[in-house]
Amino acid sequence: MSPLAKGTVAAAFDGLGPVEQVRGNRIRLTTTPGQVRDALTKALRELACDHVIQISAADNGKTFDLIYHLTGPHRTVVAIAVELPRDRPEISTVSDLLPPAGIYERQIHDLLGIVFAGHPGLKRIILNEDWPEGEYPLRKDWKPDPSKFYGGVREGAQ
Amino acid sequence: MAEVVVPIGPQHPALKEPVNFKVVADGEVIVRLELDVSYNHRGIEKAAEARDFVRVVPLLERVCGICSHSHTTVFVKGIEEAMKVDVPPRAQAIRTIVAELERMHSHLLWLGVAAHEIGFNTLFMWTWRDREAVQDMLEEITGNRVNYGINEVGGVRRDLKPAVINAALARLPLLEQRIATYADMASRERTMLMRFQGVGKLTKQQALDLGAVGPTARASGVDYDVRNDDPYLSYPDVPWKVVTDDHGDVFGRTLVRVGELREGLGIVRHCLENLPGGPITTKAPRAAPRAEVLSRYEAPRGELVHFIRTNNTDKVERLDIRTPTLANWTSVAVSLVGQNLADIPVIVAAIDPCLSCTSRITVVDREARRTRTMDWEELRAHGIRFYREKEGS
Repeated sequence: MSPLAKGTVAAAFDGLGPVEQVRGNRIRLTTTPGQVRDALTKALRELACDHVIQISAADNGKTFDLIYHLTGPHRTVVAIAVELPRDRPEISTVSDLLPPAGIYERQIHDLLGIVFAGHPGLKRIILNEDWPEGEYPLRKDWKPDPSKFYGGVREGAQ
Repeated sequence: MAEVVVPIGPQHPALKEPVNFKVVADGEVIVRLELDVSYNHRGIEKAAEARDFVRVVPLLERVCGICSHSHTTVFVKGIEEAMKVDVPPRAQAIRTIVAELERMHSHLLWLGVAAHEIGFNTLFMWTWRDREAVQDMLEEITGNRVNYGINEVGGVRRDLKPAVINAALARLPLLEQRIATYADMASRERTMLMRFQGVGKLTKQQALDLGAVGPTARASGVDYDVRNDDPYLSYPDVPWKVVTDDHGDVFGRTLVRVGELREGLGIVRHCLENLPGGPITTKAPRAAPRAEVLSRYEAPRGELVHFIRTNNTDKVERLDIRTPTLANWTSVAVSLVGQNLADIPVIVAAIDPCLSCTSRITVVDREARRTRTMDWEELRAHGIRFYREKEGS
């Protein structure tokens, strides 16, 4: 299967947002959180994407970026990028459309505190079980609170 | 018979690294399994944000002890893309040689571990002895047996002298012969056939649906290999082919890995014989411009991804690592269902899990499709009820 052309991807994602070709085999759609499931369904059905490479998550200081990287037999990396507001970082889950995404969503939830609505079990997976609630270490404004206990062995404990 | 929960790990004689399995079994048959691999979380992604590009490379080398070269190569490759630096061909070839030697020592190690899991310790001793030859080559080429320290942003840190090239080439014929022996054994040896065939079956559709990567996916007929799909280093210039198999079980995964040993040896030989001349490094700028790179790499265990964001400084703004073991756990949870308890070690070993890599971020999959969900309290209540009934009180 030959690589996807930018035009093909733009046609499939028509009405969802701007499409750009970052380099040779990287094509990226920027869309809104509300349309992410639409975009993903189109990528799976119309662009034959069958493998999720990664859901990259980053804190850019003002908002949270989520980028879903997909590929398929055409070997082109199709990325779907959305921005989530800091005060209400919530987006609907895609784990029902793409089962491997479930793990990645839990990981992002644990480290950045983004809520994936409709996820069947958004429980702690990365951080240790005694890590305090509501502390998201990969947020840029996160600082360890000296009065809190972050797990492991307590200093001075008998 | 009622179901029982069998906890295994995090410290257990059958496991090489800390992981906790809660296996729900009905008699000898596995019904469901939960994993907890958070025991090795070290916060490396956060630590990487605080170090400049010179000092972050040794840190990333230590994400994993087996695929240390994978983590540094995928990172420097991404930074070089962000900086728009062209790496000299000689450096690319040296990185390719180390990468393939790393794949070979990793696959030989895996073959030994798999043999050990089925109680075939003779094969375990043989493969680990032959792995020493690969380690010796790595030591001669890079100066180290593990954590090679060969990569830097812009090139490699050590050149290959003719004496080293000749010594490495001289070691290859014996290794080639040993690999041929293992290929023959993997497809004919009775113990291996009995324990590997039909165990941990994963169809092509399942492998795709569950996002399996690397030899696990390629043994189910999925021909994804980043070296071919998104070419990097010297792979486009070297003759080699993607190894796939259609068996989909541990037997298939063994054949794929043995095939990759052979291909890896061919790549190493080609690169050593046709090593381009010229410098081994270019002067890279201290800082990287604002950029965002998704750097992909075919590590021994499968596709490794570093998502890198730079912001005009000499540090990364964000480094998001997705390791192959993370992608493969979902498929393990599914391929274990319906199998015998006794097959757990070999099925888990078949994806070649690397927990240091993975639990830097981690995993569990309680939502894997086709597995029934039951929370911990329910299980506990169930266990208590089961034993009450059994004891007749």
